[in-house]
Amino acid sequence: MEAAARSEAGAALLEASAVAVEIGGTPILHSADLRLRAGELVAVVGPNGAGKSTLVRAVSGLQRPSAGAVRWSGLDLDGLRGRDLARRRAFVPQRMQVPAGVDVREAVTVGRSSHLRPLRRLTGADRAGVERAMERARVTRFAGRSLTTLSGGELQRVQIAIGLAQEAPVLIADEPTSQLDLGATIAVAGLLRELADDGLGVLLVVHDLALAAAVADTVVVVSAGRTVADGAPARVLTPRRLTDVWGADAHLTGRAGRTALHVAWLPRGDVRAP
Amino acid sequence: MRKLLGLTLLLAALCLPASSQAAAQRIVALTPFAANTLARLGVTPVGIGQTLGGAERFLPQLQGVPTLPLSHPNGPNLEQLAALDPDLVFSSRTWAKGNQAMEELGIDVVVHDPRSVDGAFADTFKIGTLVGRKHYARDLLQGMRRRVEAAERGIERRPKVMLILGVGRTPFTFLPNSWGGDVVSRAGGRLLTGGVSSSSGFERISDEVVVAENPDVIIAVPHANEDDIPSLTEYLRTNPAWSSTNAARNGRVYVSVDNSLLQAGTDVASTIRKVRRAYLKN
Amino acid sequence: MARRGLVFAALLAALAVATAASLALGAVKVPLGTVLDVLLGKGASATDTQIVEVLRLPRTVEALAVGAALGVAGAILQGALGNPLASPDVIGVTGGAGFGAILIIIVLPGSIALLPLTALAFGLLAAALVFGFAWSGRNRGSVGKVVLAGIAVLSLFTAGTTGLLAAFPERAPSAIFFIAGGLTSSGWRDLETVWPYFAAGFVCVLFLIRPLDRLALGDDVAASLGSRPQLIRLGAGVAAALLAAASAAIAGLLGFLGLVVPHVVRMAGGSSSQTFVVPASALGGAALLAGADTLARTLRAPIEMPVGPFMVILGVPLFLWLLRRAV
Repeated sequence: MEAAARSEAGAALLEASAVAVEIGGTPILHSADLRLRAGELVAVVGPNGAGKSTLVRAVSGLQRPSAGAVRWSGLDLDGLRGRDLARRRAFVPQRMQVPAGVDVREAVTVGRSSHLRPLRRLTGADRAGVERAMERARVTRFAGRSLTTLSGGELQRVQIAIGLAQEAPVLIADEPTSQLDLGATIAVAGLLRELADDGLGVLLVVHDLALAAAVADTVVVVSAGRTVADGAPARVLTPRRLTDVWGADAHLTGRAGRTALHVAWLPRGDVRAP
Repeated sequence: MRKLLGLTLLLAALCLPASSQAAAQRIVALTPFAANTLARLGVTPVGIGQTLGGAERFLPQLQGVPTLPLSHPNGPNLEQLAALDPDLVFSSRTWAKGNQAMEELGIDVVVHDPRSVDGAFADTFKIGTLVGRKHYARDLLQGMRRRVEAAERGIERRPKVMLILGVGRTPFTFLPNSWGGDVVSRAGGRLLTGGVSSSSGFERISDEVVVAENPDVIIAVPHANEDDIPSLTEYLRTNPAWSSTNAARNGRVYVSVDNSLLQAGTDVASTIRKVRRAYLKN
Repeated sequence: MARRGLVFAALLAALAVATAASLALGAVKVPLGTVLDVLLGKGASATDTQIVEVLRLPRTVEALAVGAALGVAGAILQGALGNPLASPDVIGVTGGAGFGAILIIIVLPGSIALLPLTALAFGLLAAALVFGFAWSGRNRGSVGKVVLAGIAVLSLFTAGTTGLLAAFPERAPSAIFFIAGGLTSSGWRDLETVWPYFAAGFVCVLFLIRPLDRLALGDDVAASLGSRPQLIRLGAGVAAALLAAASAAIAGLLGFLGLVVPHVVRMAGGSSSQTFVVPASALGGAALLAGADTLARTLRAPIEMPVGPFMVILGVPLFLWLLRRAV
């Protein structure tokens, strides 16, 4: 596996420690830590129900933590509201609502609205920002198309463009590739890696461990509501860990720019279930 | 001789069923007009109708007669009505649904909704005939006609009158073919109609026409109580839409809450007098 | 973009025509020159002045205000609740306003002067109940809760209204006209009472347009952009309640407008962006009501017919035609 030593001398944009979250009285996250620097791509992985999305939503300010400390560039999350938070991070959900009668450019312009004072009109600078965001996400060529006509991959890139329009130093994406086909996954993954290389801090929740290993600088493993590992993909996603956390007999390989997860789908010596 | 006797007996036999048919014993009157007319004719009904929350005026002779509460759309509760075992019911078009049900029960229903004074006279006679008091009715009517003629005498002025039903957002105007319209016309008022006619006797008429025709007197007949009269009068008097009319400018806006202009009554003459004295001042 | 511009131009033209017709036409023929004279303050006969200044002008303004208010209320509710069937009825306002009005007409007829304020108060009370229930307990402010609470509160007030009508059947006819909905020519009296609520509602809407566009992309995207989705929904509910209650206070229970006008505007312009739909619904609603009201009071002059059927006659064919052409 190519554990490319990507040196990040970036500033610490996000520091979260001992984060706990309760939803409807049920503890989902018990204690989780997370760090993100500029130019770094952090992938959060773990089994279903472990609390990956909850952790990421909590640090993004979408879900109130019941305990722990979350700091954005040194500032406490509690003290950051609305507009300020929107300038520091952009959250891209797995799938946004797709309204009829809205085209791509309009949607990306909405992403720009965090920069606008309540009743002020869009300025030339704002429009330029929108075009920039669309270019970076490579959606300019269908800027005039209605959202409802887009494929899964195209829509995901538009969502990223909306996030980029916020012009925040951090982009957070919750399972951006889970619903996409191979080609679209490659396109989105490539885009996210590019953004990190450009200096953005990128935080991803992913299921696909091979993908995580390929694009991430750091992998954080969440299991049963706690972060159990944090580091370079090769060091974290060891066969031992894959067994402990996922109950899988598997190992990651990387060769000639390709990453793969070798899995014993049907474990040797087990009696097959009747 | 025997032939004459036989003929007389035959005639008597023919007359008897006719008069026993006409002289129905158990009568229910669902309208105040029918009830009061019966009272005037010296007949006491076995039941009279009273609308929920209504303010019907009944003659003192009717005190003690069982009352049947009336509600939409049937009128009386049919079980209560049947318990009175009526032969004949005097009803109104308002209770059309109930009337049909009563007929199906085998009760005779006669509907009277007089919409003019002449109509009221005619209906009075019909009621008298149905209860076997034809001659009495004729006498009664003579007296009524005389009194009405007296009430209509000596009219000095014929002011233009707008007579409206209800006070709320959109009043309906009484047309000449409504009870109130006929009474006010007989009292010497010239009804404001905008040239409109309608079979129902009421219409919503544009305020523009009211302004153009400029009534001298405005009378409103709302569904309200006596104590409401001052505030209602004030509300109407200050209605900006009519501010240019003679009526508003001279403060000749009145409110009438009893039913005398809404429903036919048996005291037409006194109603006409009241209209002349209190409202038309003629 | 060009298509939207075209739609705006068409709506402005329709509005101009409807307003002009509303001022120039009526049960009494007033020559156009005289109408202009009165409006420009050049004086005319007392009758003509009264007709134009006291009867037609306030009524036209009321039609424009109520039409715009209901159109906008429908647009923002459909956006906030993400439901194409949303309208001011959904948040209970019309049920409450109806009850308040019937209460006055039937139980306290002497207080008729208080009818607009009472209808307004009960309309706002009904909306407050809906939002109170929808914001309690779990899943605060979710669309499902708002809709269900709206149904419940509407049923409550409708039952109350029916009960009153049944208890005082003699007085029921007076109440029917409020329920059917329509404008009256009573000068500026009613508008003077309710204009602050129109103003407050419209101002709230101005500040809600962009947040609603964010909400259209989903609660998460809206949160990412710094908005609080539940707060936007609440704000939209409050603004819609103010506009709908004020409208009901002076024009009775007019349905149809709030539900259909935003859809017509969306289909014509091919866009759901609130920056387009809200102003367009205001223009469309105003034009529709002013036009329908003019027809209702001139077609069988001097008889005034109810305005509801005319709104339908003007609006539904256009709606169906656009529906056929829409994908």
